[in-house]
Amino acid sequence: MDKTDKKYTNGEITVFWQPHKCIHATTCYRELIEVFNPRKSPWVNMDGAPTEEIIRVVKLCPTEALSVSYNKAMEADMDADRSSESPESIAEARVMEDGPLVIRGNFILYDTDGKELRHLKMSSLCRCGASNDLPYCDGTHRKIGYIGK
Amino acid sequence: MMNDMEKEIIASHPPAEVKILRDGPIMIKGVFTFKDSSGKISKGEQELYICRCGGSANKPWCDETHKKIGVAN
Repeated sequence: MDKTDKKYTNGEITVFWQPHKCIHATTCYRELIEVFNPRKSPWVNMDGAPTEEIIRVVKLCPTEALSVSYNKAMEADMDADRSSESPESIAEARVMEDGPLVIRGNFILYDTDGKELRHLKMSSLCRCGASNDLPYCDGTHRKIGYIGK
Repeated sequence: MMNDMEKEIIASHPPAEVKILRDGPIMIKGVFTFKDSSGKISKGEQELYICRCGGSANKPWCDETHKKIGVAN
């Protein structure tokens, strides 16, 4: 690990940044300026988008400058949350302007056959109808210029 | 931190159900907090249908436009 390497987490995943490997392809901030903004410090804001969206953009990086992994302690943390603090929080469904429906908290997700879908702390569901990974958002709404309150 | 009332609500209600309806909207049913894109919040027991085809004229709500445009998802 290089001294200049950095890592950023939202509690669920950790994004690793190895600046010496960056070729400045600009993919990350053209795709997701809410998270990857080189004009800001720190330049990575892990609260700027849902986990799935961050993972998607990290995977677009043409080099190994950006990488991501799930936090290993996540499941243990979630169990600890359940047993000590309180039950899981009431579910929250939030409509992102021109983007997906983001759901977190205490919810069960069912597919079109009524089968339960395993999910992380947060699910990001497509609203534009054009995702290649339905029912999940894959960022296609940006490409098609989806507009939706 | 949650207050006692919120704890009680959680204890007395099962998880919210989020169902992907075939060729139709997302149904969210149960006790949950809903935030629209303007930040407006509604809380408590509710049943909402969120457009998933992109074609509704009344977003974020489903207005059955998916039937007209014949989406399959």
